[in-house]
Amino acid sequence: MRFAHSVRTIYAKELVDILRDRRTLIAMVLVPIVLYPLLMLGSVQALSYTVRELRSERFIIGVLNERDKASIEALIRADGVSLANREAELDPDLEDFAELPRPLNDDVKVVAYASIEALTGKIQDRAVQVGVVFPDGLLVPSPGVRNPIELHADYGEVRSANAARRIDAMIARVAEATVRNRLKAEGLPESFVTPYDVVTVDLSTESSVLGEILPLILVLMTITGAIYPAIDLTAGERERGTLESLMVCPVPVLDLIVGKFLVVTTVAIMGATLNLTSVTATVYFGGFSEMISSEGGSIPIGRMLLILVCLVPFAIFMSAIMMAVCSFARTFKEAQNYVTPVIIAVLIPGGIAALPTSELAGTMLVMPVGNMVLLSRELLLGAHIPFSSLVFVLASTTIYAAAAVAVAVKVFGQESVVFADSGSLKMMLSRRLIKPSRCVPMSMALTIVAVLFPVWFYTQTALAPGEGESAAGSIYGTAMFMPIFFALVPIALLAYGRINLTCGFALRRPPIRYVVAAVLIGISAWVPAFELNALQQPLFGGIAVDAQSKMIGEALIEIGPWMAFLAIAIVPAVCEELFFRGLLLGSLCGATGKWTAIIVSACVFGVFHFFLAKFLVTAVLGVVLAYLCVRSRSILPGMIAHVLNNGLGVLFILYPGAATMIGISDDETLAHLPLHVLVIGGGLFAAGLLATSVRRVSVDGTATDTMPAHANAR
Amino acid sequence: MDAADSNDMVVAEELVKDFPRPDGRETRAVDHLSFRVPKGTIYGLLGPNGAGKTTTLRILSGLMAPTGGVARLAGFDVATEPREVKRILGFLTANTGLYQRLSARELLVYFARLHQMDRPAAEARVDQLIDWLGIASFADLRCGALSTGQKQRVNIGRALVADPPILIMDEPTLGLDVLSNRVILDFIKRERDEGKTIILSTHYLDEAEDMCDMIGLMHSGRLVAEGDLESLRQLSGEHRLSRIFLKLVHADEPAGASAS
Repeated sequence: MRFAHSVRTIYAKELVDILRDRRTLIAMVLVPIVLYPLLMLGSVQALSYTVRELRSERFIIGVLNERDKASIEALIRADGVSLANREAELDPDLEDFAELPRPLNDDVKVVAYASIEALTGKIQDRAVQVGVVFPDGLLVPSPGVRNPIELHADYGEVRSANAARRIDAMIARVAEATVRNRLKAEGLPESFVTPYDVVTVDLSTESSVLGEILPLILVLMTITGAIYPAIDLTAGERERGTLESLMVCPVPVLDLIVGKFLVVTTVAIMGATLNLTSVTATVYFGGFSEMISSEGGSIPIGRMLLILVCLVPFAIFMSAIMMAVCSFARTFKEAQNYVTPVIIAVLIPGGIAALPTSELAGTMLVMPVGNMVLLSRELLLGAHIPFSSLVFVLASTTIYAAAAVAVAVKVFGQESVVFADSGSLKMMLSRRLIKPSRCVPMSMALTIVAVLFPVWFYTQTALAPGEGESAAGSIYGTAMFMPIFFALVPIALLAYGRINLTCGFALRRPPIRYVVAAVLIGISAWVPAFELNALQQPLFGGIAVDAQSKMIGEALIEIGPWMAFLAIAIVPAVCEELFFRGLLLGSLCGATGKWTAIIVSACVFGVFHFFLAKFLVTAVLGVVLAYLCVRSRSILPGMIAHVLNNGLGVLFILYPGAATMIGISDDETLAHLPLHVLVIGGGLFAAGLLATSVRRVSVDGTATDTMPAHANAR
Repeated sequence: MDAADSNDMVVAEELVKDFPRPDGRETRAVDHLSFRVPKGTIYGLLGPNGAGKTTTLRILSGLMAPTGGVARLAGFDVATEPREVKRILGFLTANTGLYQRLSARELLVYFARLHQMDRPAAEARVDQLIDWLGIASFADLRCGALSTGQKQRVNIGRALVADPPILIMDEPTLGLDVLSNRVILDFIKRERDEGKTIILSTHYLDEAEDMCDMIGLMHSGRLVAEGDLESLRQLSGEHRLSRIFLKLVHADEPAGASAS
C-alpha cells in the first residue's frame, strides 16, 4: 500500500527529527519533570502558608467604652478556659486534636474608641478588623434576658471577615457552654435543646477535588504538547526551505499531512503523559495528596490510565486544529501569532466545562473541548456515562478533527503558502483569485459540516418544546431554520468559492427511470424502516421514540394538513437532500471511493438527527438516498423519495383511516407489520433498489460516480 | 503523444504564468514560453534576475500550476499528471534547505523511501550516491553542521536519489567554492553522458558555455534566443557568451518593456 508506506516513512522521519530538537525536549521533558513539581511545591506551600497565616493572624477588636472592653475580654477568657478543658479531655495522639479551634487570647488586642463613627472609620481604614458593640451592655447571662451583640466588620475584606467569623464562632462556643451548664443545673439532657442530631456523611470519592482540576490541566498539557511540533512540522518546514524538496516528491499532500499529523498527536500524547506522571509523582511523593484529594488517599493507577485513554481523542482533535492553523503560516513567528487566539478560544469552553456546576448533557455534549473536559471528569469520578452521551462526544470530536485535517491538507499544498513570493493568505481567500470549479473541495464541505453540527444542535435544543408544551413551535422553527442553515448558507459559501452550483449540489435532470425508482422507494421505504425500528426496539426500549412521535402527531393535527406537509415533508426533503446528498456526498465522492462517500454521508445524516434511537433508521435511509443520488447523478430523485416517505408519515398520523385501509389495525402495541404489507411494501422497495442499480450499457455507465465532463466550467 | 514519439523529454508550449498583485492586477512572470529539450542534453536557461527562469522551472516540476499553456515531461502533463512527473524528475535549487537534525545519510534514505523504494534498495542507492558525490567523510554528521558546499552535494544526492531520467537544476552552483563547483559540474556532465536530460539555470556564463548543449536566453518571461553556442554566436556576431547575452537581452529591451 502506497499510502501506508508513505505515511510510515514520514511518521518515522518526523518523529526522529522532532525528538532530536532541543526545544521539543525542553518543552516536553524538562518543563514537566523539573518545572511543574517546583511550581506545584512552591504554590502549594505558599497557599498553605497564607491559610495558616490567616488562621492565626493577630487582629484588633474595636469597642466603644471600657465596660464593653471588659465584657469582650471576659468572653474571650471564658472561651479560652473551656477550650483548654476540652483539650485536656482529648487524647493528644488523636488526629482531631488539631481540629480544636484556636483560642483568641493571644491573637487579639482590644482598643476602645470614642464614638461609633470613629470605630467605623478605623474599620474602613483597615486599622481595626472588627468592632464589637453591646447595645444593652453585657449583663450576667441569665435565662429570660436577651444579650444583643453587634459585630461590625468589612465583610468584603478577607482579614476583617475572618476576624468577625472567629469572634462569631467564639461567642457561639461560649453560648453553647452556657446552655450546657444550664441544662446540667436543671438536670435535663442535652437533647432537650437539640431534638435532632444531624450527622453528615461525605460520599465524595477520594479524588473528587482532583477530578475537578485535572481535566483542565490535562487540556492545557495536551495543547502545550501539540503546539511546538505543529508549528515545526508545517511553518517550520516552510521557513527552513525544505518544503519545496518535499513537494517535488511523488507523495500526495494527504499522505504528508497525515504522517505529520500523527507525529503531532504522538508528541502531544507523550508530553501529556509525562506531565501527568510528573504531577502524579509530585502529589504522591511530595506529600501533597491531602491538599488535592479530600481523603488524602493515593491516586489509583487505574484512574490515571483512564485519563490517558480520554486523552487520545482529545490529542487527535487538538493536533488537527493546531495543524490546520499552522498550515496557514509561512514562518514560525506567524504561526505563533495564529496559535495564541486559538488557545484562548479553546480555554473558554474548557473553563466553562471545568465549573463544578457543568454537566455532560445538553449543549455541553457537542461543545468542542468542553465536552472532552467533562467526559474526562465524569470518567475520573467514576460516574456512569450514558452510551448516547459517549457517542455524541466522540462523534462531534471526530467531525471537528476530520474537518481540521481536511483544512490542513487543503492549505498545506497551496502555491501561495509554499512560495512566499506568490501572494499572501489574503489573496488565497480573495474571491477574485479563486478559480471557478465544479466540485466542492472536501475541506470546505467538512468545515461546513463541522460548523453546522453544533449550530444545528443548539438550534434544536433551543427549539425543543418544554414539559407539557406543544411541539408545533418546534416544528415551525425547524422548518424556518432548516432552509437557512442547510440551503442558503451552503449556497452562499459555494457561490463565494466560485463553485458551479449545478454541479456542487448535483442539480441535474435525472434519467426518467431513476424518478420511477425514487417513487417506488419513497412510497415503500417506511416498511423496512418500521421493521428495522422494531428490530432495534430491545436496544432502546422504544419509549423515547414513542413519546416523541406521539408529541409530533398531536402538533401536526394542531397545525393542519397543509402546513404539516410543508414542514415535515417538503422542507426537510429539499434542504437535507441539497446538503447531505448534494454538497457532502458530492464532495466526498470527489475525494474518496463511492461507497466510503455513501457510508460517511449517511452516518453524518444520521448523527445530525441527534437522537440515538433514530440513528440506525436514518443512516440506512441515508445510504439508500445517497445510492440513488450517486447512480442518477442528481439529487432530484432523492428529493422525490424523501418527500413521499415523509409525506406518508404525515398522512398516517393525520388520517389513521389510511393505515386501516391498507390493513394495519389501529393497535398501539403493533410489533410487526401484517404479512401482506410486508410483502407488497418490501417488493416495491426491492423493485426501487433494483431499478436504481441496474446498469444500462449504452449510457456512460462507467462514469456514474464522477462529475460529468461536459459541464460548463464557468 | 508527440513528445513520446519524438526524442524530446521536456516540452513546453506557450507557457504563461500570472501572479496576482495586491492591487488587483497581475504580473506576468512567464509569457508564452515554448521550448523543447531532447533526451541526453543539457539545456541552459539563462537570463537576468526576474526573467522568469525560476518560475518556469517550478512549473516544469509541477510545484506551480501554469496560468496557460502545456508542459510535458516524458509525455506526462505537469498539470494533470503531477505524480507521474514527480516520479521521473529530480529537482534542485540553490537555496533548498536540509533537515538540520538528520544526518546526510538519513536524509537521503528518507527521500529514497518517499520515492517508494524499500529499505535495502534505498540504502544501497544512498551508499552509491555517497561514494559518487564524495559525501562519505560527512555522511553521518547532522546536516545543520555542514558547510554550504557539503550541503549542496547532499542536495544533489537528494535530487538524484530515485535515479530520475530528467533533472531540473535551478542555479546549482550558487555561492559554492571552486572545488565543490567542480565536483558538482562534473557530476552533472556524467549524468548527461548516461543519457539523462538536464535543464540548468545559471548566472555563471562561463559555466553555461562549458556545460550546455543548448542555451535558451530568457528576458521578461519570454525566450529571446535559443540554440547551441555556435548558432548564438552567429546570431549575435559575438564570440563570448557574456557578450552574446548582453547584446541579445539589450536588443530585446524595447519589446520587453511593453510586456506586463
